[in-house]
Amino acid sequence: MTGLSLLDRTRDLVQRSVAGPYAGTDQQGRLEGVLARLDEPLRVAIAGRVKAGKSTLLNALVGDRLAPTDAGECTRIVTWYADGHTYDVRAEPRAGATRQLRFERRNGVLEIDLDGLDPDQVERLRVTWPAQGLRHTILIDTPGIGSLSAQTSQRAWDALVPGDDTDQVADVVIYLLRHLHAGDVDFLRAFGETGIAQPSPINAIAVLSRADEIGAGRLDALASARRVAARVATEPDVRRLVQDVVPVAGLLAETAATLTQAEFDQIAGIAALDKVTTDRLLLSVDRFVTSVPEWELGAEDRRRLLDRFGLFGIRLASTMVRHRVATGAPDLATELLGRSGVQELRASLDTLFLRRHEVFKCRSALLTLDAVTRTRPVPGSEEVAAEAEQIVASVHGFRELRVLAAIRAGWITGRPDALEEAERLVGGRGTTPAERLGADPAADDAALRAEALVVLERWQRRAESPMTPHQLGAAARIVIQSCEGMVAELSDWPS
Amino acid sequence: MTVTAPGVVDETTAVVDLGLRACAAYGREDLVPRLQRARARLADPEVQVVVVGEFKKGKSSLVNGLLGARVCPVDDDIATGVPTHLRHAPEPHASLLRPDPAGAADGVRRLLREPVPLERVRDLVQEQPAGRDGGRAGVHGVEVGLPSPVLAGGLVLIDTPGVGGLGSAHAAAALAEASTAQALVFVTDASQELTRAELDFLEQAHRMCSTVVCVITKIDLYPAWRRVAELTRNHLVAAGVDGPVLAVSSTLRELAASSGDDELDRESGYADLRQVLVRTVGDDAARYVVGEARAEVRAVCDQLDAQFSAERAVLADPEQARAVVEELNAVRTRVQELKSAASRWSRTLGDGIGDLNSDIDHDLRRRFREVLAEATAAIEESDPMDTWTEMEKWLQARVSHEMLGNFSELRTRATRLSEVVGEHFRSASGDVLQRVAIGDPRSTIAGEEIEHSIDLERLGARKQAMTMLRAAYGGSIMFVVLGSMVGITLGPIVGGIALVMGHKGLRTEKQRQREARQRQAVAAVRQYLDQVSFVMTKDSRDTLRDVQRQLRDHYTALAEQLERSNAEALRAATEASNRDAEQRRKRLVDVDAELGRIRALGKRASA
Repeated sequence: MTGLSLLDRTRDLVQRSVAGPYAGTDQQGRLEGVLARLDEPLRVAIAGRVKAGKSTLLNALVGDRLAPTDAGECTRIVTWYADGHTYDVRAEPRAGATRQLRFERRNGVLEIDLDGLDPDQVERLRVTWPAQGLRHTILIDTPGIGSLSAQTSQRAWDALVPGDDTDQVADVVIYLLRHLHAGDVDFLRAFGETGIAQPSPINAIAVLSRADEIGAGRLDALASARRVAARVATEPDVRRLVQDVVPVAGLLAETAATLTQAEFDQIAGIAALDKVTTDRLLLSVDRFVTSVPEWELGAEDRRRLLDRFGLFGIRLASTMVRHRVATGAPDLATELLGRSGVQELRASLDTLFLRRHEVFKCRSALLTLDAVTRTRPVPGSEEVAAEAEQIVASVHGFRELRVLAAIRAGWITGRPDALEEAERLVGGRGTTPAERLGADPAADDAALRAEALVVLERWQRRAESPMTPHQLGAAARIVIQSCEGMVAELSDWPS
Repeated sequence: MTVTAPGVVDETTAVVDLGLRACAAYGREDLVPRLQRARARLADPEVQVVVVGEFKKGKSSLVNGLLGARVCPVDDDIATGVPTHLRHAPEPHASLLRPDPAGAADGVRRLLREPVPLERVRDLVQEQPAGRDGGRAGVHGVEVGLPSPVLAGGLVLIDTPGVGGLGSAHAAAALAEASTAQALVFVTDASQELTRAELDFLEQAHRMCSTVVCVITKIDLYPAWRRVAELTRNHLVAAGVDGPVLAVSSTLRELAASSGDDELDRESGYADLRQVLVRTVGDDAARYVVGEARAEVRAVCDQLDAQFSAERAVLADPEQARAVVEELNAVRTRVQELKSAASRWSRTLGDGIGDLNSDIDHDLRRRFREVLAEATAAIEESDPMDTWTEMEKWLQARVSHEMLGNFSELRTRATRLSEVVGEHFRSASGDVLQRVAIGDPRSTIAGEEIEHSIDLERLGARKQAMTMLRAAYGGSIMFVVLGSMVGITLGPIVGGIALVMGHKGLRTEKQRQREARQRQAVAAVRQYLDQVSFVMTKDSRDTLRDVQRQLRDHYTALAEQLERSNAEALRAATEASNRDAEQRRKRLVDVDAELGRIRALGKRASA
C-alpha cells in the first residue's frame, strides 16, 4: 500500500490543479468547492418517487421532526440538513445572495417562513441544526420524482444527477422505493452513470419505504415487507444498481424517535379498552375517528394520533401495550424503533458507506476533476487527468469498489459461491475483517487471522489456476490484496 | 346486467319471439338465425369491463371485492402477470386463452380455450420471476368462469397486469384490452394523488374507451383519503376525463362479506361501485341490445312485407300483374347483382381491405423505422455493455406502444370501412325493398323512422366491427409483453477486465470493443424488430382477413334473404295472376290479414 493516504493524495492533486493549470479560470471556484468538501461530512441524499416517504425517513434518521410531511406533495425545494452549533436556516436563491430565514417550531414541527420567496426561485435551503443524527452526515431531502409538477421533478433530478458542469451533489444516495417501478430503475441508473467504475451500485442503497403499508396495515406487515425486500434485492436490475435493500416503516421510526408521554397515554387508553371494542375502533381510519364515543379522546386528537402513527402504528403500539411488551413511553419508543427497520438501515449505512467515507468523498472529488479536465482542457490538464486516473487505478479502496461493481453487474462470471465470497472479501457486506470473512463477530483476532490465511491461500490458488476464467482471475488478484491487508491489519493489533 | 326497466328487455324478447313465429309460419327459416342471434344477445348481453391501473394498487382485490370471493390471487409482493377474464358460468372452471395457430388457415380465428385445473390459476396469473414463464408462453390470458350474481347479467371483468409507469409494455397490453372493452375501471390508491404517469395513462386509455370509472382503493388505511379523492377529481376534470370517482376499501368489503354486516358493506363503498357499474355500463349495453333486437325484427317484417305486398298488388288489380312481375324480375337482377362480387359494397370491401393491408403494413414499418433510429442513436451514445438490460426493456415498451398505435389505426380504419360497406349495401338494398313495396300505398314507413333505423344500423356496423376485432385480434402485443428477446444476447463481454484492472492505456482498446458491442447491439435490435414485425404483420393481416370474411358473409346472407323474399314475391304474384276472381277475393282477405299482422308486429318493434 502507498504511504500517503487516499485523502491526502486526492487533496494534493486538487490543490495543485487549483493553484496550477486552473488558477484564474472559470473552474477555479468549482475546484475550490471540491477541496472544501473533502473535509466536510459525507453527503447523503434521500431520493425517490413522490410520496415515497423521503421527509419522514429523514426525520427518523435525524431523530427530530425537521422536514415537513403532509398528505399532498410537500417537499418542493432541495433542502440540506447539517450539524452545527446554532440553529440556522438559510435560502440560496438561484439569483442573488443567500438569505437568512425565520423559522419556528409548532407542535414539535419545524416551520420555515420563506419570506416571500418563490419556491421555484430557490436553489436550495440549508438548515443547520445541532443533532446527533447529523454528526457524520449531511442529509439532503429532495422533491419527488414523477411529480405532477414537471418543474418539481426536474429540480430533484438536477440536484441528484450530475451533468458535466455540475458536481455530483451527494456522495451516497438512499433511494426510497414503495414497489419496484420502471421509473426507479431509470433513476438509479442515471445516478450511478458516471465515469469512474460505472455503473455504480457502490454508492446507493435502496429502502423499501412505507413498509407498514405493503401488507395493508396488517400486524404482520413488517415481516411481509422484509420478504419483499429480500426478493427485490435479488433482482438483477436492482443488484447492479444498489448495494442493499432495507425495509423501513418511516412513520413508525419518526414517531418512535419523537414519542411524547401524552401520546403514550393515548395509546395506553386504547389498550385499556376491551378487545372487541378495540377491533371495532381499529377497523378503518374513519371508524377510528368516529366510532366508540365512550373512549374519551376527541376527534381532533384522534386524527392527530392517526397522523403520527398511522393505523398500523396504532394497531402495533396498542397491542404491545396491551400485552405489556411496553409499559412506558421510553419502552414503547424503543420497541417501535426496533420494529421500524431504521436501525437496520443505520447499520447498513454505517457498514457500507460511513466506514468508507474517505473513499466516497475522494470518488466524488475525482469525478469532478475528471469532468473538468474533459470539458475544459487547458495546458497541463492532461497531466492532472492522468494523475487522477493513476489514483483511481492504484488505490486499493477503489479497486475493491470496482470488483464489487463488476460482480454485481454480472461482468465477472464464475462459480456462484466463489463470486459471493469475492464480493464479501472486498467488503461488500462491511469492511471489518469479521464481516469480510463472514466470521462470527465475536471471534478473536487470532482466529480471524488464521481464517484470513486460509482464504488467502485459496484465492492464490484460484488466481493461478488455468481453469479460472480470465476476469475472475483479475478480480482474484484484488481479492488477494484485500486478504493480505486483513492479515497485516490483524497482526498489527495488540492481542 | 340488470336494467333499470327490466320490462323493456322482456317486451323486446316477446317481440323477437313473435318475429320467430312469423318466420316459421311463412316458411322463412333463412330469417331465423338473425333473430335467434338477437334473442341470445338479449338473454346475455355481454359487457366487458377492463380493470387497469399501476401495479400494487389493489386491482385484483377490487375484482375479488366485486365478486365477493377470492378469485384473483392477491399478494403483498407478487403482481398479476397476465389478463384474467372473469365471466359467469354455472360451474367454476378455468382455461388458458391462446391464439389458435391452426385456425387461421381455414375458418375464423378464435382464441383457443385450453382447460386447466382451478388450482393452477394462481400460478398462471401471478407474475413469474424472470426466465421462468411457468408454461404460459404465448398465452393471451386466463379465463375463469364462476357462478356469481354480479356476473350473471353478462358482465365480464378483466383484471390486467399492473402498469409499471407509462410506456411500459404492460401499459400497451392494458390499453389493447381497453380498446375493445365497453368500460374501463381505473384503479389508484388513497396513499397519494395521481402521479404524472398515471394521469398520462388515463388520458390515453380514455381515448381508447370513453366510459371511465375511477376507483380509489385502500381508504381504510389513509386518513387523508377524502382529500386525495378530491385532488383526483380535480385532476380528472383538468385532463378532460369525465367519469365518476369512487372510493372503496377492499379490506372492509371482505370483512363485510364474511360477517354479513350491511353497514360495513356500505362503508366499504362497494355498493356504490356495483351500482355505478350497473347504471352507467350495464344500462348502456342493455339499451343497445334492445335497440338492435328491435331493428332486427323490423328488418324481418320488411322482408315479409315485401313478399306479401307484391301478391296483394296483383290480387287487388290483375291488370297490374304484368307490371308487377316485370318489376320483380328487374329487382331479381338487382339483387343478384348485390350478391355478386361486382356489387359496389363488395368492391368497396375488397378494395378497402387491400388498401388497409398495405397502409397498416406501411404504418408499422414507418413506426419501427423510427424505433430503430432512436435505438441506434441511444446505442451510439452509450456502451451496450452497461445499458443492454435497460435497452431491452425500453425496446419492449417502445415496440409495444408502436404496436398499439398501429393496432388502434387498424381499429379506426376497419370500423370506418365497415360503416361504408354497410352504407353501400343499405343504399342498394333499401332501394330494392322500396321498389317492391311501391304497388301498395299503405306500406309507407315514416321518414324519420328510416333515419332512425339507419342511425342504428350505422351504430350497429361500428359495434359489429368492434365485436369482430375482439374475436379476431390475435393479441400480438402480448407476444412482446410476455416474450423476451429470445436468442439475442450480446457476445462474450471482454470489457469487464479492463474495468477491473483500470490500467492506463486501455482506452483505445476499450473504445474498439465498445464499438464492436454497439454494432452487435444495433444488429440485435434490428433482428428483434424484424421478428416482432413478422408476428404483428401476420396478426393484422389475419385480423383484416377475418373482418373481411365476416363482413362478406354478413352482407351476402342479407342479400340472400332479399333474394328469397323476391323469389317468394314473384312466386306469389304469378300464382295470384292465375287465380280466378273468387279465389282472388278470398285470398286478398287472407293476404290483408297477414300484412296487418306483419305491420302490427313492425309497429310494436318500433315502439
